[in-house]
Amino acid sequence: MSPVTLAVVATLAPAVAALVLLVVFPLRHRGAPAAWLTILGSVVSLAAALKLLVDRLGGAVDARATVPWILEKGHAMAELGVLVDGVSLPMLVIVCVVALCVQLFSVAYMHDEAPRAYGRYFTLHALFLFSMNVVVVSPNLLQLFAGWELVGLTSYLLIGFYFAKPSAAKAAVKAFWMTKLADMGFLFGLLILFVSTGSFEWTTQPSTLVATWVTAMLFVAVIGKSAQFPLHIWLPDAMEGPTPVSALLHAATMVAAGVFLVVRADPLFALAPATRDVMLWVGSITAVFAAFLALVQSDLKKVLAFSTSSQLGYMVAALGAGNAFAGFFHLGTHAFFKALLFLAAGSVIHAVHSNALSDMGGLRKKLPLTTAAFGIGALSLAGFPGFAGFFSKDLVLTSLEDKFHWVPWSLLMFSAFLTAFYMGRVLIKAFGGELSAKAEHAHEGGPAMTGPLVVLAVPALLSGFLGGWLATQVNASYHLHLGLTPVVATSMSLLGLGASYFVFRNGGTAPLAPTLERLDAFSLVDKTWSTGYQVGLLGVASLAGWFDRYVIDGLINFTGWSALEGGQRARTLQTGRVRDYALMVVAGIVVLTLIGVLR
Amino acid sequence: MTLTNCIVLAAALLCIGIYGLVTRTQAVAMLLSVELMANAANILFAAFGHFRGGPAGQVLVLFSLAITVAEVAVGLALVMLIYRRHGDTLLDLASEAKQ
Amino acid sequence: MSYLSSAIILASALFVVRSKNLIHSVLWLAMTLLGTAALYAQLDAPFLAGVQVLTYVGGVVTLMIFGVMVTRRHEGANAPSDHGEEDRGFIFATALFVLLALAIWKSPMALATPQPSPTTAQLAHALLDDYLIAFEVLSLLLLAAIVGAVVLARRRDPDPITGEEPAATTPTREVTP
Repeated sequence: MSPVTLAVVATLAPAVAALVLLVVFPLRHRGAPAAWLTILGSVVSLAAALKLLVDRLGGAVDARATVPWILEKGHAMAELGVLVDGVSLPMLVIVCVVALCVQLFSVAYMHDEAPRAYGRYFTLHALFLFSMNVVVVSPNLLQLFAGWELVGLTSYLLIGFYFAKPSAAKAAVKAFWMTKLADMGFLFGLLILFVSTGSFEWTTQPSTLVATWVTAMLFVAVIGKSAQFPLHIWLPDAMEGPTPVSALLHAATMVAAGVFLVVRADPLFALAPATRDVMLWVGSITAVFAAFLALVQSDLKKVLAFSTSSQLGYMVAALGAGNAFAGFFHLGTHAFFKALLFLAAGSVIHAVHSNALSDMGGLRKKLPLTTAAFGIGALSLAGFPGFAGFFSKDLVLTSLEDKFHWVPWSLLMFSAFLTAFYMGRVLIKAFGGELSAKAEHAHEGGPAMTGPLVVLAVPALLSGFLGGWLATQVNASYHLHLGLTPVVATSMSLLGLGASYFVFRNGGTAPLAPTLERLDAFSLVDKTWSTGYQVGLLGVASLAGWFDRYVIDGLINFTGWSALEGGQRARTLQTGRVRDYALMVVAGIVVLTLIGVLR
Repeated sequence: MTLTNCIVLAAALLCIGIYGLVTRTQAVAMLLSVELMANAANILFAAFGHFRGGPAGQVLVLFSLAITVAEVAVGLALVMLIYRRHGDTLLDLASEAKQ
Repeated sequence: MSYLSSAIILASALFVVRSKNLIHSVLWLAMTLLGTAALYAQLDAPFLAGVQVLTYVGGVVTLMIFGVMVTRRHEGANAPSDHGEEDRGFIFATALFVLLALAIWKSPMALATPQPSPTTAQLAHALLDDYLIAFEVLSLLLLAAIVGAVVLARRRDPDPITGEEPAATTPTREVTP
């Protein structure tokens, strides 16, 4: 099969699964068939993606096929199609692998749900994979935007999966609002691009001014989607969704779509150095800020959520430094080890029935496999030498060093220390120490849960060695050399892990620990947003509401009232009494006579 | 007796008829009021005929008389019908029964 | 002389509309019609006066009296309308009269002079010659009116098969006197 056909198959297979499940609702309501159909779709997607990868390794070149879209007077405004190249293909494989692992994991994890909810869950998963693949293979920004919005929608639906729970419903709405607010930027960027160049391609060469505006607008969308400061506040709340959803959408793939967009639109961003400077700073600040917040969370999933935000900050910083490959590489490794971390966390939560770190402890005795998986993920995230995260993080930091951005470089270094520190804290608190009360009866979740962990642990360990190959795919240079950055980064990582060991080893009794726990800067940003929301948006909304209620409705009501009142009045004329009708006739005569006389 | 006098007389008769039509509740009484108004019209025809010359005015009065008689016949038949239905000839009652 | 007949017409017309007793009203109507007949005579229309007395006073008024007699339940059945309605009627009637009088006063008809009246023979010729078609149509109208009146007023026969009284003959509503 041609690469184009394979890419189309990879994209549409989950769509077919989702469509079948949507239309043939008995399948969906039964639960289990929905799961298997969705997984079948993912398997087909993954097989097609792997075939593409094998072909690529065998020397296949880029492929692109489009059909006209939005015909206006016979002239196509945009195109719809697939693009298989060095950027989309690795991303496609990553997405399919992670999605399949997460779906298999979900089979066991969501097992206790009612059949209907179970079916709905997997239908949404199929829809998500389709949407994400649309983003990945899109040949232009318009199709990317369509997929972008679709993943936003599925994200909303999956965060609000437990919609009966008020906090989940609220979190879903919050995530939706925040990302939609940011997506306005995408839309404006598209409009500016189209108006000034007449095309939605990222290969167009607009003037610097236009490029700056377009990329700035796109970056606003990236801030929202990839949970960058200050729009990061939706991501922790998104953890209200089922843990596998967090693994797939809010760690590995969907939130990375923002980074992916920048990688894709790199030619445009290359024309806009100003936007890149902003990105550099936003990314660095997010990396440190979110790392701080991850440090103080008492909820396992929220630690991981902030860490995701922090790692995305790394990627954005790398992109801001002009090294798209570094960002992309980190995106790939991060997808694996963060999905692994989340699934391991899911396994833990499944075992102890709680998200709280305080309910965990000594789990290494009960969940050895999960502990190993989490450990691999955590060490990879912390940038321990040899693990995947080590290579990609070093590359990010090196790209900053190359451009002499020393302040962001220091920030990211500090963040690396913090990352190692908070991951060490989680490791010690959850898996080390004495067995907690809730962990007494914990046990591994069976092969459907441990299998994906094992599968994901491999790339989390080893994907760092693929950097050289990936670099050739995107025509970037990649060479690790022993310089300032690797040495400092490695020492930061080891320092962080060591420090966490000293602080938390005795169950968090060291004097520093409680202080850290209390440090909660996150709520400040959240409060600022909610105040802004209440004063700004709700103010406007209440004004609009007032206008609607009293002016618009008033007009409507007045119309209705006058008709009713007029009817009531007119009704009294219709007495049904002959005399009154006669009187009306007479009145008419009088009026006519009056007119005749006055003329 | 000038033409003006005749017309004023007819107008007065018409207004009296109208007054009766509007104020009386009995069907027969209303019929009587209509008769008064028809009579006013007849007076006008005759008067105009008298001051215009020719037979047209008087012929019209004759026709009008015939029509009035027909009207009275049908009207009285209706009154009989109302009476048989409602036991009375108050037109208000008839209209209430309609509701 | 003509003022006398005019006064009789107007006064008896007022009694027609104001009288509480229906029979009195009908009799006052007969008086009005007689006055009108006298007016016709003064307008040089003796044939008209004769017809007026014969058809109106002889026919219509008799018919009215029959109607009143047949349908009357008790004396003074003319349910009084409230004063508001009487005032309303009075205002409208007066207003109309004032307006009409104004119109008459403004018109130049006052200068008209009486013309020689047609003889009865001329009238007959006109009726059966110039206005023949109208005359015949009128006879048709009268026929239709007679048939219609009979159909309306006749008592419905019981259904020949079921023997049921027709629904229309039973009062749909009980009226308390």
